[in-house]
Amino acid sequence: MAFVSRSHRDPNETYTFSSRPRPVENRPKYRGPPFEQMQSNYGNIMYDRRVVRGNSHGQHIIPTAAQTHPIEIQRQQEMRRRKRAREQFRTMTPEALQGRKHIEIQTELYLEELSNVIVATDTECQTDAFLDKPATPLFIPAKSGKDVDTQIEEGELFDFDLEVQPVLEVLVGKTIEQSLMEVMEEEELACLRAQQRAFNELRNNELAEVKRLQEQERRHSEEKERRIAQQREMLKKERETAEKIAARAYTQQYLADLLPAVFTSLRGHGYFYDPVEKDVETNFFPWLMNEVHKSLEKRYIARELLDTIIQEVAQRRLNTTC
Amino acid sequence: MLMAGGVTDPSRAPVAFGRRAVPQLFEELQQPDQDRRLRALNSLCDLMHDPERIQQTIRAGFLEQLKVLLEDEDPSVRTKTCELLLMLSCKYTASEALLSSSLLPPLSQLLDDSSSSCRRSVHRVMKQLSVWTSGASALLPLVPKLMLKLNEEEDEEALVLLLSTVSCCSRVDVLPALASDGVSLLGQKLSHPSPNIRREAAAAMMTLSVCEDGRQQVCEQALLPVLVGLLREDDIEVQIHAAGVIMYVVVITPGKLQCLDLDAIPVFLDLVSKKKEEEDRRRVLVMYSLRVLTALAEAPDGRRLLLEQLPLLVARSEATEEDENIRRAAQTAVRVITWTP
Repeated sequence: MAFVSRSHRDPNETYTFSSRPRPVENRPKYRGPPFEQMQSNYGNIMYDRRVVRGNSHGQHIIPTAAQTHPIEIQRQQEMRRRKRAREQFRTMTPEALQGRKHIEIQTELYLEELSNVIVATDTECQTDAFLDKPATPLFIPAKSGKDVDTQIEEGELFDFDLEVQPVLEVLVGKTIEQSLMEVMEEEELACLRAQQRAFNELRNNELAEVKRLQEQERRHSEEKERRIAQQREMLKKERETAEKIAARAYTQQYLADLLPAVFTSLRGHGYFYDPVEKDVETNFFPWLMNEVHKSLEKRYIARELLDTIIQEVAQRRLNTTC
Repeated sequence: MLMAGGVTDPSRAPVAFGRRAVPQLFEELQQPDQDRRLRALNSLCDLMHDPERIQQTIRAGFLEQLKVLLEDEDPSVRTKTCELLLMLSCKYTASEALLSSSLLPPLSQLLDDSSSSCRRSVHRVMKQLSVWTSGASALLPLVPKLMLKLNEEEDEEALVLLLSTVSCCSRVDVLPALASDGVSLLGQKLSHPSPNIRREAAAAMMTLSVCEDGRQQVCEQALLPVLVGLLREDDIEVQIHAAGVIMYVVVITPGKLQCLDLDAIPVFLDLVSKKKEEEDRRRVLVMYSLRVLTALAEAPDGRRLLLEQLPLLVARSEATEEDENIRRAAQTAVRVITWTP
């Protein structure tokens, strides 16, 4: 930068600076690397940030010839302090929270009028009347190509051998299917029957064995029963025989002295008698008693008679004496 | 065939498509015209191979109509109706429906029918019904009537069917057949010239002889010689069934004694020793014969004879025997023979 700047302290304690007029440089915002700083672009003064634009009212301009007394400085400082204190008194909106920003806006643009009446508009529409359309002309394509004709010969349209094949296949197929089904049915039945038969035979086999064993069991049990019955019979017979023997012995003993006892008792009852004695007793004694009776009767009668005579006599004597 | 039967086959009515087929044919059946009914029946018989159609028939309750048809004047209509019932009774659910819709009484009326083909069809239906347990139980009240028919029926096929019906029913309950003198009737049939009848009679006899009474009766009526005679036949089915009857009969003592009198042991030993068992039937015959020998070994005479033949049976009970049942039967036989008190 080729400029000359001169600055020196005035003896009146003011600082002056002067330099040759030069166009303002368009200073870039950020300082570039040291090498590039040598470049200098002349910028537009209208768009330079360093130039003050606009009303200068109320701007803080440092007076050029400022003889600042220390009192002035003090007073200014006082004013500044008071202003600050006044500002502090006034209640202001609190500071924005972290991450937020307070912005002043006007809501005029966003206001909406609310009303009960709904704004409605009537609209109508009408279609155009149909216009009669003329009939479309018949489209006859232009003739193109060659004219060709053909004749169908006998047997070309319908060939029996070809046509009959599917029909025949179906016929034969269905027949075979049905017959297969019938054959399978019969086979199945035959299979079932064979199985049944085999089962039956096995069953018969085992059943025969079972019957045989059953029969064997029955025979054995019958045999056992018979033997037990036999044994019981034998025991009974033995017991009977023993009882018989005992009875016989006892009766023998009993009858041994039965005979004399019988005779004694008979004799005692008078069944053995001497006939002469019996006769004498039966015949003689009653006659004798009778005779005795008679003779005694006679004596009694005589005594009675005597008694009567005596009594009569006594009576007569009594009667006569009185 | 699901195709238009009326066009291709004059003996069949045309069949409607899909679900309409069965109802429409049943409507045809109600027509007074005999011919149309027969044709409708033919078509129905064809349709009834399909289980779906059978279900449709049952669910729609068309079985009641068949009852009327069973009493129709035309024997061919009756026969065809029976064939239709045969198709139905091959399936279990259908046969249940048959039984519950009380089709049995008119069916049993048809047993006395004049036309033999009709009777044959009826017998076929009954045989098929008796395969199912519920059918066999339902047919039990008819068994006395069926036993009577045994003597009257001349037609061989009907007789065969009748016998197998009786044997199936008797598997459920033996008493009705025994009560109607079943053993003697069947005994007569054992000597019938036709092998089929002999086979079926022997099978029926086998079911009868499971019961104690049956066995007693078989012994009393001296049917064992006939049965042993049947053992010597060529037809293996006859042999099997005869062996089965004997197997049950020798469990009781009179049976054992009679069998030993008839000298049946060599016959059975012969059957047991045959080695060609590629067929299952022969295997069954061997099993039955082993059981007979086991039962016979309980009698002292039998045991004496069998002790001599013990090696043969021991060979059968070895682990080399493929069929487990035969091995077990042979082991039981050996055990019984060598048992000492």
